[in-house]
Amino acid sequence: MEEKVPFVRVTRRQDFKKSSVWMIRILAFVIALVLGCFVFLLCGVSPLQAYAEIVKGAFGKMTGIRQTVKIMIPLLGTALALAPCFKMKYWNIGAEGQITMGAIGAAFFAINFHDKLPGAVLLAVMALAAMILGGLWSAVPAFFKSKWGTNETLFTLMLNYIAIGIVAWLQGGPWEGKEGSQIVPNFASNAILPKIGGIYCGWIIVLALVFFMYFYMNRTKHGYEIAVLGDSENTARYAGMDVTKVIVRTALISGAISGLVGFMLASGANQTIYSGIAANNGFTAITVAWLSQLNPFAMVLISALLAGLSKGSSSLKTAMGVPGSISDIITGIILLCLLGCEFFINYRLVFRHKEEKNV
Amino acid sequence: MKKLFSTLLSATMILTLAGCSNGGNTSASTGTEDKTYTVGMVCIGNAEMAYDRNFYNAADAAKEILADKGINIEWKYTYDHPEGDPVAADCTEFGEDGAIAVFLNSYGMENAMLTVAGDYPETVFASLTNEGSKSDDLDNTVNAFPSIFEGRYLTGIAAGMKLNEMIENGEITEDEAVLGYVGAYTYAEVVSGYTSFYLGAKSVCPSAKMLVEFIGSWGDPAMEATTAEHLIDQGAVVISQHSDSTTPATKCQEKGVYHIGYNIDMSDVAPEASIVSSTIDWTNYFVYVIETIVNGGTVDQDYMNHGLKDGDIKLTALNESVAAAGTAEAIEAAKQDIVDGKLHVFDTSTFTVDGKEVTEAYLDMNADFTPDDVNAISDGYYHESVYKSAPNFDLRIDGITLVNEAY
Repeated sequence: MEEKVPFVRVTRRQDFKKSSVWMIRILAFVIALVLGCFVFLLCGVSPLQAYAEIVKGAFGKMTGIRQTVKIMIPLLGTALALAPCFKMKYWNIGAEGQITMGAIGAAFFAINFHDKLPGAVLLAVMALAAMILGGLWSAVPAFFKSKWGTNETLFTLMLNYIAIGIVAWLQGGPWEGKEGSQIVPNFASNAILPKIGGIYCGWIIVLALVFFMYFYMNRTKHGYEIAVLGDSENTARYAGMDVTKVIVRTALISGAISGLVGFMLASGANQTIYSGIAANNGFTAITVAWLSQLNPFAMVLISALLAGLSKGSSSLKTAMGVPGSISDIITGIILLCLLGCEFFINYRLVFRHKEEKNV
Repeated sequence: MKKLFSTLLSATMILTLAGCSNGGNTSASTGTEDKTYTVGMVCIGNAEMAYDRNFYNAADAAKEILADKGINIEWKYTYDHPEGDPVAADCTEFGEDGAIAVFLNSYGMENAMLTVAGDYPETVFASLTNEGSKSDDLDNTVNAFPSIFEGRYLTGIAAGMKLNEMIENGEITEDEAVLGYVGAYTYAEVVSGYTSFYLGAKSVCPSAKMLVEFIGSWGDPAMEATTAEHLIDQGAVVISQHSDSTTPATKCQEKGVYHIGYNIDMSDVAPEASIVSSTIDWTNYFVYVIETIVNGGTVDQDYMNHGLKDGDIKLTALNESVAAAGTAEAIEAAKQDIVDGKLHVFDTSTFTVDGKEVTEAYLDMNADFTPDDVNAISDGYYHESVYKSAPNFDLRIDGITLVNEAY
């Protein structure tokens, strides 16, 4: 009997108070910073100076803050898009492709209709086209999953590469500027999102989305259906919910929001389209969504943290000559510690001899 | 999965730590002069890449030349940003830092730069090897592209001499004098490059033919090697390239054929194959831009017509052990003729398109992507990099076969 008990096993725990949970997370962050010190020391850079440079670069000056917000917009927007899918335990890792398809939809109208439509109408049409394309790109794997039980993780992942491939073709083909250049020229001025406070107005759109998503997830029938389905598909069926409809609808909304992010990236941040336009936001947003426990307001903080790290570390590269890979390591360590501590919040390790004592 | 990914990422990066030296701290000591100007460079790659190294070397050289003139500068670099928003962020950062000039070392960066350059009118943004900045309505965005086709032509002569030697030795017949060329895309810059190379070879070896195969990328080591091998299989005995790595050279060495390089000297990796390389030396341009700004002048919107005569285009040391006898003299003579204006690379009497001599080839000068503005052909030659710096020769001349045209 005793031989069957493993040396260490994992059991679920729910005994932490909310305050201590946050203490653990802060502690994990501090540990990450301390680990980061060693990396800087290895590289011959003063850790304090380096951290100060990161903070200064990200939040020190108005332009730094603007740049941080610019990085934050697509990250937050995509995390919000993923929230309902993850709540439903539908593993949509295709946000990258849905963003890219959104950008294609927006770019189509920016390129072909900029001289036919006035600015406000053009932007609205671009946004709508982006949401439709992004939504469809997401709804297809959801439909296949609910009808035939295909694996949505693989399906959405594969669709990313197809979307990126389509842009690569477009930028070397129909939308190419100078022949052979593989570059789509910048959009006309009426196809570009206006700036508010020195940053393209996407930040207002995502802030509105934060409230929308909170309301949608917590105060609507849809949100309730998503939560029930996420906990147990059988319960959802038993309660008379149309599971196929809920899955497809949720994926459609998620993809549409990702598509909207694609529109903002094309029209606001880049003012053109290229195959790397999603710039990994679709994947980094998964981290944001998880770290925030799918809470839209927490997503604002987490995406600000990640965007600040990204902006700060790029300043660090320029200011102190630290190689880019070092900043990536620091970001990696922080993410690892933050995600890792969630494990210890939710589970405890039980060692064999301890158990014997308990008995 | 994300966690695992982060761990792996961290682990691999820690391993690469060994390579991180204490670079970039050399500027703090120069406190003797009154002012040190900041100059930025946005790099598509990093110090590991041959392409970028060519720029760092020029930047260092320019810094020294300027110091002798009493102008102290400090270079700041950003790395691995080929295009898109990161490039715009770099430009913003440099603009905020009060950089007097920012050089963008790859043509894909121009779009992103143009979205922010207007915010920093005091900073000159130089989009190297592209052509949108000169024709936009911003005064502080400029273009530059030295006349690399002149260098390509000279290396073509080296290739042609090698073909002649092989014909004389009976290794190949006149009909088997086939050159191969690994191209990036069917972009005018590439077309201009391979055509000038071919014309150089043809000027000494009239029976020379050339095969060009495109890889659909500016740099892809594996693909470049495969393509070189494919060209060799089709009979090419001297290969050149318009792509970023050295794998075509090493493949030539392995297969026992010869190679003409680009950007850097490749004779260290392929000592038995590499004959010579052509390269752009950016030193003059960096000095020109920075000196002009410091002295309160206006930087030219486009840096045209700077080639062999100014030292902006150079050849690397000729690998005498591989080159045919008399190559150095032939190159030197042609170089002198080009410098004196006696020889034009794209002399329309030396090539035909569909069997006919060409008299018209229009350029796009107003960035509407329609080539209808200026006829580049006059006085019996195509005026490459005269009306604008970016290469524009886009004719498909006889004697060159494109193996694929998908890119």
